[in-house]
Amino acid sequence: MNFTEYAALRVADIRAGLLKGDFTAHELAQAAGDAYQVMDGPLHAFLQPTPGLAQARAEALDQRIAGQSCDAANRRQKGSGTLAPTGQARFTDTVSTGNAFGAHTNHSLLPNNADLRLAGVPIAFKDNMNQLGTRTTCASRMLENYESTYTATCVDRALAAGALPLGKLNMDEFAFGSSTESSAFGTTQNPWDLSRVPGGSSGGSAAAVASGITTVALGSDTGGSIRQPAAFCGVVGFKPTYGVVSRYGVVAFGSSLDQVGAFGRSVGCVAAATDAICGRDVRDCTSQDSAANFEAAALAGVEQGIKGMKIGVVREYLSLSGLEAEVIRALEDAIGHLECLGAHIQEVELPNARAALSAYYVIGPCEAFSNLSRFDSVRYGYRQCGANNLNEQCERSRAAGFGPETIRRVMLGSYLLSSGVYHTYYYPAQQVRTLITQDYQRAFASVDALLTPVSPRTAFSFGEITDPTQMYLSDVFTIPINIAGNGGLSLPVGLGSDSGLPVAVQLIGPQFQDENILRVAAALEARYDIERLAPLYQRLLEAKGEDAYRVVNKRQNANERQRVDEKGMQSNNNERCCPAGQQHLAANNPDPENERGRAKDS
Amino acid sequence: MKELKAVLANWEAVIGLEVHTELTTLQTKMFCSCKIEYGAAPNTHVCPVCLGMPGALPQPNKAAIQSIVLAGLATNCQIQRRSMFYRKNYFYPDMSKNFQTTQGPVAFCMYGGIDLEVTGAAACERDQRQGTRPLASGDGYVTPIGIQRIHMEEDAGKMVHVGGESGRITGADYSLLDYNRCGTPLIELVTKPDLRTPEEARLFLQELRQIFLALRISDCSMEQGSLRCDGNISLRRRGSEQLGAKTELKNMNSFKNLHDGLAYEICRQAKVLESGERVLQETRHWEPSARRTVSMRIKETADDYRLFPEPDLAPYDLSDEFVASVRAMLPELPAARRTRYLSDYELPAADARLLAADNDLAAFFDSALLAASANTDGDLSASGLGGGKGGQAKSVRLVTLAKQLANLLLNDTQAYLNVHNFKLVDTSLTPEHLVQLAALVADGELSSKQGKEVFAQTIKEGTSPRDTVNHLGIKQLSDTDALQAVVNDVLARFPDKVQQYRAGKTGLLGFFVGQAMQATTGQANPQLLNEMFMQTLAE
Repeated sequence: MNFTEYAALRVADIRAGLLKGDFTAHELAQAAGDAYQVMDGPLHAFLQPTPGLAQARAEALDQRIAGQSCDAANRRQKGSGTLAPTGQARFTDTVSTGNAFGAHTNHSLLPNNADLRLAGVPIAFKDNMNQLGTRTTCASRMLENYESTYTATCVDRALAAGALPLGKLNMDEFAFGSSTESSAFGTTQNPWDLSRVPGGSSGGSAAAVASGITTVALGSDTGGSIRQPAAFCGVVGFKPTYGVVSRYGVVAFGSSLDQVGAFGRSVGCVAAATDAICGRDVRDCTSQDSAANFEAAALAGVEQGIKGMKIGVVREYLSLSGLEAEVIRALEDAIGHLECLGAHIQEVELPNARAALSAYYVIGPCEAFSNLSRFDSVRYGYRQCGANNLNEQCERSRAAGFGPETIRRVMLGSYLLSSGVYHTYYYPAQQVRTLITQDYQRAFASVDALLTPVSPRTAFSFGEITDPTQMYLSDVFTIPINIAGNGGLSLPVGLGSDSGLPVAVQLIGPQFQDENILRVAAALEARYDIERLAPLYQRLLEAKGEDAYRVVNKRQNANERQRVDEKGMQSNNNERCCPAGQQHLAANNPDPENERGRAKDS
Repeated sequence: MKELKAVLANWEAVIGLEVHTELTTLQTKMFCSCKIEYGAAPNTHVCPVCLGMPGALPQPNKAAIQSIVLAGLATNCQIQRRSMFYRKNYFYPDMSKNFQTTQGPVAFCMYGGIDLEVTGAAACERDQRQGTRPLASGDGYVTPIGIQRIHMEEDAGKMVHVGGESGRITGADYSLLDYNRCGTPLIELVTKPDLRTPEEARLFLQELRQIFLALRISDCSMEQGSLRCDGNISLRRRGSEQLGAKTELKNMNSFKNLHDGLAYEICRQAKVLESGERVLQETRHWEPSARRTVSMRIKETADDYRLFPEPDLAPYDLSDEFVASVRAMLPELPAARRTRYLSDYELPAADARLLAADNDLAAFFDSALLAASANTDGDLSASGLGGGKGGQAKSVRLVTLAKQLANLLLNDTQAYLNVHNFKLVDTSLTPEHLVQLAALVADGELSSKQGKEVFAQTIKEGTSPRDTVNHLGIKQLSDTDALQAVVNDVLARFPDKVQQYRAGKTGLLGFFVGQAMQATTGQANPQLLNEMFMQTLAE
């Protein structure tokens, strides 16, 4: 299987292909491994690849499929047809051992078997998701060597559904950021343009899917951390309603805001992945039963259309400063398409949505402060030795183990929750939250879904945005629905007419009616003939391998340094709270500049 | 230091208690399914949730909510239909998440209280004009003690500090952590500042313990730490309504320590105040061996725990049906049991208190009397036994039997259990056998000494007392004809003593009875002999 063939596969294609015996899970795992080998150098989407786990799962799956075969005599030999762009030996070694997947295969095994709805589907997980056999670092020094002691429910369900785990993906440290620049282990590059950020905090997830390394990826979304990187990388990203997917095992940022979701290069892929991971989990008592079938909803959107559905648009959103013309144009195009599909466009008002940002920057840090308290160097995680007592050890370890953005959030949360301050910020923030939730309830009384921008602009360059306020504003369209709890999906609608970079629109649904979103998204998707695969692979081939990666890395490091110099405030902050930590970083971190990622939000 | 009594003559102590109770009778922890077991090998009952591993989330234990609602109903609290969990944030390594999941301003149980009976010598320590009423028996008073709230929370792990002198963290070489206890469901009861003497505090905690034991929500072992108590205490001049500065007292891990610690602290504060200084608001540690309290930390402002609603747990909405179903589970509480024993069986007050306080003994006592009433050859069936719901005439026999039973349980049985370190269920003793024995003694078929002999056999071997009597040939001689001969024989042997007796030295009666007992190798009924000697000598 060559890269082009591999990258063209959707979840449904993979199930059908396995069923028909076009390829084996083993071949898929190998193709994924090859794609990783070629692209992840310049991309740096992965923090920890797990080719061994993927292969083991693939072989078990192939055996399971073979075991279900009724007629072994009908096996047909199938070559792997590999094309090894890097000429690596293991590519050419993959002459198939034979696909034990006969003509008389038990057809009930795959597509209709809910247990195996992701059979053979390459998947990768954001590195805040626990998976046995991997480290779960949250892209933080604090957890650099932390080995998962159990598996998160979403990971567990994806694997139980037959997915092949390719590895753990880069992110902003503890998901604090919108560019993946605050990762302690280096930035991830946007596969459309390596000089640009992939968005964040699930930047690794978006980049891994957009580049074609993996078919689907899981991420988490606290204020837009799935939808914004999906938009920046031109893939589909779906954050379901809070409670649809269990958060158990996903390292918490803002417990009342976090939601797990999927990335894919099509609405169908994302729907299938969400079907596999959703539903009530006794280990997360905020999770809900879900009777939804997202894949069926997406299919209905294509087959039955959306004629008569009512789609709301928010007029006041279009006049927000900083909203780029190409984003407005893309939104207007989408409205046109929806009208062509027979949907009714209706204006709605979200009068309190603008307060969402403020509420978010109170609630998020407060919950984060408390959630991150457990990283105290006592039981696990980074420990700075040589302290005189326990408090000192804890302080030093946290100062050195956390990056500056994490320290900022923790300090902010600690302040906002302190007595006297609590009633000035946290309490009103919760009241605002109620108002915003009511806004959406009112809006959805008259429409089936909302159409809004995802991000006011396309992917920015490393170091381009230095004003934190402007950075915060970039989440203005995604944060309100985390505050309200509704689901949202980022749908790529092509390359921007000015920037030439991916542009997306956001579809939002009523709480626990995420099927609406997928139905509309699938119908709308069919109207666009656009490429979801970033051109990275082709470019790398053209640029002749290894040398190209080095160029990219050098440029990247130069960007990092420049940015850190501009961030004097962050350095001061760091000095004040953790002189010991800085010494440690200087001594042990080969690339200390990376520690000082920018102040941004997820 | 002045005597407590003298201090209390001028000063009024205002005491409130915070009582932590581990729900040890539950199978699993508050937010995970790890087993609750005291004394297990360190860190063997732990999981990602109670160890606070990254990404773990709490799963609340429904049985624990049931337990706290039981506790609330038993202490006359209002059960709050809607309440929430909160996070109390503070760094300490025994708290694996570095926040404790507890409750906020609204707890599951609010605004309750119990009536506390205070008897004995310490009853004079309180100014009884204040809202108390005298006990019917006249040797004490009853006073209402308010309960502010009972909230649900989780326990921390245990730290063992190695090295250093004090066994405390300061000066230790290193510390060991055991998270087995971490996440054990804990209910915290906070009283109103209604207690006025150390004795009241001690009695209150005892009463509370008995209630929780009756509810079977905890083993309430102060020794093992499943029942823990802190005190808040301040003094004010008698007659003053204004509250003084308070101290918080810790490490009172027995009833005696609670009493003694509070007594010490009252005297200490009085001395401070009388010397014109002010009491510092601080936490103090009771040192039982040194018999003093020492300052742990000054606490002029409240700690900032950054309490906020736990986002991982949805607010609770307890349904009326749930509360009703828990109410239906309420057993008879010690106070009601005590009253029943007093009114239905006329047990001595001390016996009634002791029996009612112990679940196992009380249940045994009740089923023994029930067995007696079910026994057709007894004359108890008409006496209202078993229900004991007043109104019916109490049979004399019932009262006699109950007294005898109480004796056997509180003295002989208790002694046996203590010696062997058994629980009642560990023995072969049955309520049927015990009431049979009580009847044999009450009917005079066995002397109390013989009763003890038979009891030893019964509790050890599980044989019925009647069989034991027959088997061993133990029988009390109650045949008056046979005994009269013995009496006559004794009197004939000691004519001088008879003369002395008749001259007024009536103390010699015991001598005669003793001689007769000797003659019958202890089998005669001493009560009967007594009467017979008196009668014969009077003739």
